[in-house]
Amino acid sequence: MIRTLRISQKWTLVVVLLLASTAMEAQTAAPLIDPSWVVPAQAAQRQNPLRDRPDAALGGRKIFERNCLMCHGDVAHEQKNHAPDLSSAAVQAETDGALFWRMSQGNSRRKMPAFSSIPEPQRWQLVLYIRSLSKQGTKLK
Amino acid sequence: MRYFLTLAIFCLALAAPATAQESPYFVTYDDVLEEPGNLEISTQGTVGIQKHNLPTRVSPLLEIEYGWTGWWTSELYIEGSSQMHDSAVFAGWRLENRFKPLRRQHWINPVLYFEYENINEASGIRKEIVGHTEPVTESLSILKQNKAREVEGKLILSSNVHSWNISENFIVEKNTLHGEPTEFGYALGISRPLATMASGKNCRLCAENFRAGMELYGGLGNTEVFGLPQTAQFIAPVLVWQVNPANSFKVSTAFGLTSVSERLLLRCGYTYEISGFGHKVRQMFSGKDRK
Repeated sequence: MIRTLRISQKWTLVVVLLLASTAMEAQTAAPLIDPSWVVPAQAAQRQNPLRDRPDAALGGRKIFERNCLMCHGDVAHEQKNHAPDLSSAAVQAETDGALFWRMSQGNSRRKMPAFSSIPEPQRWQLVLYIRSLSKQGTKLK
Repeated sequence: MRYFLTLAIFCLALAAPATAQESPYFVTYDDVLEEPGNLEISTQGTVGIQKHNLPTRVSPLLEIEYGWTGWWTSELYIEGSSQMHDSAVFAGWRLENRFKPLRRQHWINPVLYFEYENINEASGIRKEIVGHTEPVTESLSILKQNKAREVEGKLILSSNVHSWNISENFIVEKNTLHGEPTEFGYALGISRPLATMASGKNCRLCAENFRAGMELYGGLGNTEVFGLPQTAQFIAPVLVWQVNPANSFKVSTAFGLTSVSERLLLRCGYTYEISGFGHKVRQMFSGKDRK
């Protein structure tokens, strides 16, 4: 297919690919902490309705492996996309409500997808599992 | 062929389990874009069973989707078509881009969709339905000669209410080759996971791995005659099974609701998602961050 393209079309393709790679690099190079990604006070105060059900964290682990592991990593996997280590003190210092808000809202300018399509109870299960990460120690670097 | 083989080997070499928020819809789009750096390869088949003893058509589709950033996803489609007691032909390709203009989630989340289609009238994947419809009576070899270079725009609106996803698409399409009027269409979808809590068991057939729903889609006429007369309309139950983070299957049976609609559209799809594809490609060419 490439052979059949005219020279002007090839240049257009090159320009589009360059623009795309620039956009990707701009995101990669962006600082990890986004000062404008602020959790509203009301959202931060929300309590985890599953806080008295630690067994639900097992289900949270499955959701973590399906949706979070590839970027945030765990004890056996490295992080990618400059995603924060979820067992770090900074993340663990967040309230349950703040973690829930961040995963629900996402931050499309910093490669964090919004996971609002995951049912709300499963997102709370995920919060429970993230809390358990602090007890599992640091990641492999 | 050599390029596709090289591409397939390249993709498999970089393959790793991926994240997944697979939608059960075949026609309707929700607001979920591909995760940045992930490559999704999917195949779909559409069997169109027509009315009045007209021949059944089988239309395969290969879809390659890549998440450039958190707000931009591109997809390339390559499609074919075959007809009972007839032939099999290449039906064309499509390139689409979806953009999420808003940074945060809202009650209604908009996504802007732009697509260029270089197809012919043998196309039978029914990826979107616009304008007016006539039953297909010609052979594929004749249909293949009628080319179409179409530009298409969609306004995708999607909401996640409790565990339900509700999505509405408004479609505008224009064939740039002929002086045809601009055509309109719509697609509506609603879906929900079969379980809202994830069980602790490591299982493939757990209810939370399934998502079921319903789609309603069809044409809305064109700029000359706007409305429902002589349009194809379908209602379709849909189901997706997320086998594991990387693999998913989905099926749907669409029932034609008007006299010009196909009797049935049987659809099935398989998706494989490659995690961190862009990251690995960058590592391969830059030589940095090798572990």
